[in-house]
Amino acid sequence: MAGRSLRAHLLRLLLPPIAALLVIGALVAYYPSVEPANQAYDQALVDIGLAIGNHIRVTPTEYRFDLPAAVEQVLRTDRFDSIYYRVMSPAGLEIAGDADLPAPPGDQMAFNTMFNGEKVRVMSVQTPCGRSACTVLVAETMVKRTRATRDILFQSLFPDFLIALATLVIVWFGVKRGLQPLARLSEEIKARSSGDLRPIDAAGAPEEARPLVGALNGLLDEVSAANRKQQRFLADAAHQLRTPLAGLQAHTEIALAQQMPEACRAQLEQVHKATIRTARLANQLLALARAEPGARSSSEKIDLKELAGAEAETWVRQSLVRDIDLGFELEPAAVEGDAFLLREALSNLVHNAVEYSPRGGRVTVRTGRRNGHAFLEVEDDGPGIAPPERGRVLERFYRVPGTPGTGSGLGLAIVREIAASHAASISIKDGAAGGCRVGITFPHG
Amino acid sequence: MRLLIVEDDAPLASGLQRILEAEGHAVDVTPRGEDAVLAASHEKFDLVILDVGLPQMDGFEVLRRLRAGVSDKNGSTPVLVLTARDAIEDRVRGLDLGADDYMVKPFAMPELTARVRALLRRSLAHGGPRIAHGPLTLDTVARRAFLRNEPLELAAREWAVLEVLLAKVEKIVSKEAIIQAVAGWGDDLSPNAIEVYVSRLRSKLEPAGIRIRTVRGFGYMLEEYKQ
Repeated sequence: MAGRSLRAHLLRLLLPPIAALLVIGALVAYYPSVEPANQAYDQALVDIGLAIGNHIRVTPTEYRFDLPAAVEQVLRTDRFDSIYYRVMSPAGLEIAGDADLPAPPGDQMAFNTMFNGEKVRVMSVQTPCGRSACTVLVAETMVKRTRATRDILFQSLFPDFLIALATLVIVWFGVKRGLQPLARLSEEIKARSSGDLRPIDAAGAPEEARPLVGALNGLLDEVSAANRKQQRFLADAAHQLRTPLAGLQAHTEIALAQQMPEACRAQLEQVHKATIRTARLANQLLALARAEPGARSSSEKIDLKELAGAEAETWVRQSLVRDIDLGFELEPAAVEGDAFLLREALSNLVHNAVEYSPRGGRVTVRTGRRNGHAFLEVEDDGPGIAPPERGRVLERFYRVPGTPGTGSGLGLAIVREIAASHAASISIKDGAAGGCRVGITFPHG
Repeated sequence: MRLLIVEDDAPLASGLQRILEAEGHAVDVTPRGEDAVLAASHEKFDLVILDVGLPQMDGFEVLRRLRAGVSDKNGSTPVLVLTARDAIEDRVRGLDLGADDYMVKPFAMPELTARVRALLRRSLAHGGPRIAHGPLTLDTVARRAFLRNEPLELAAREWAVLEVLLAKVEKIVSKEAIIQAVAGWGDDLSPNAIEVYVSRLRSKLEPAGIRIRTVRGFGYMLEEYKQ
């Protein structure tokens, strides 16, 4: 049944009965109107026969037929048809006319036959001659009759045909109109973000579509339950991973604060770095998982300015370690989204800028609105990203060859995923003072 | 100072204990929320470091009971909440319940110790009229400042700015927050004016090693005093 159009199906169902009704209607209208017309033509033919009969002269010895040429011409004049006649005595002898015009069989008054290669209607008229009756056969070709039949047929069929056509048009557009609530419903579903699993409002749907909406809502419910389960799992996984990592980090830092042989210290510093990297990686993987389509759990109104301001302290602390001048140009920028993910995206951008800028470098965090779109961006004066690399750095685990440091190559991939889950676009451009400017621009709103 | 650590992960708890003991604090550790509530009802602590994800009675419940005044001993003791969860609701919930600061695991130890110091300083500042920061001392009652025990001349506005920064050492204070704290009714202070006061403070304090860092486009941060 896949791909079957409801409209086509309805039309297929409706067409045969409409056609049948059309035929019956035509027949019902046809016979009552064709019969009188034929009778009128027959009557006219009978009149001609009677007129011809008036010209039979009866003498004691014979029947004479005396039709002046002028009268014959009048009688035989017809715009469309040829008229023939044959006059016979009561005894059946030929008196005048076309002797080979066939007479109706038996005692029929009228019949159709062929004459001179044409279809003709023959009427037999009894006309008084003396004490008995002579027979006058009058025949006429069928042009007028055929034409009248055609006209009548057309006149009775045409309105029926119009009605049928109107019915089809009404069905075609009526179905479309009737299905409009469904179209609206599908528009509403299409317009949803992938993470929006709220039930569909059944109030706007037509009565017949309620079960469909109900089934969809049931499915949405199950999906969002599965989502919540996954979210819980992620939160648990985060807890399970982070707590031991925090312990590991604490102990390596305590150990590093002790006196120890230089060789030992170098090893321990490696352990410490690996711990921090692992912790960061765990965070990033969780963020990546959470940014996956459908995993987004919350959508709320967020001001990017406030979001950046709240994290400023953490970032400034990180940048102090690397002697980076971290600055802010924050203007209000309201967006709809997941606060955790947006904070993670911005943190990744700041982390990258701080990590890859030389000591003493300058990094600026901006939020605001540009051309009606809310945006956030981080600009640095570091080594920048060469244009051919700009697409690739957004891929997971890709690192520009020769990049110092210990990054996982996940940071920008996460930013891209998070941008995508907010229907926002990510851009990498040249910074004003060398370096680069990585930004996320949000859709209208 | 007397600290209570409520953390069920033994390695992390012992690590924190060692670091904070190295800072010169007396540290008690318990892995159970119930025990923490019990301990807090008997003894006064200067700071509680509280993990949210505890078995049975979780950190939020412990916090709620502390703040609800299980005993009046620790009703206003600063609480630093540790969490492994990054859900924003957890953060908001913790702060709503009266947590004073919030850290997501894992964290660098210097950051933890800095925050602990800041919280302890704040609770001290509540108690006494004297605020100390390295060689700088402010007597908030007499409204007199001393640098290396020498009297330090501060204009009223400079004093006000310094007081705001001292209340939040190692924290960024936005220019707006400074303006709000400094400007009286009807005053109209521009951000530029704040810059002037800060630069005057810098010229007076930097020779003694006290540094006020500018966070470009945001505000200022009084750095931790280092010898």
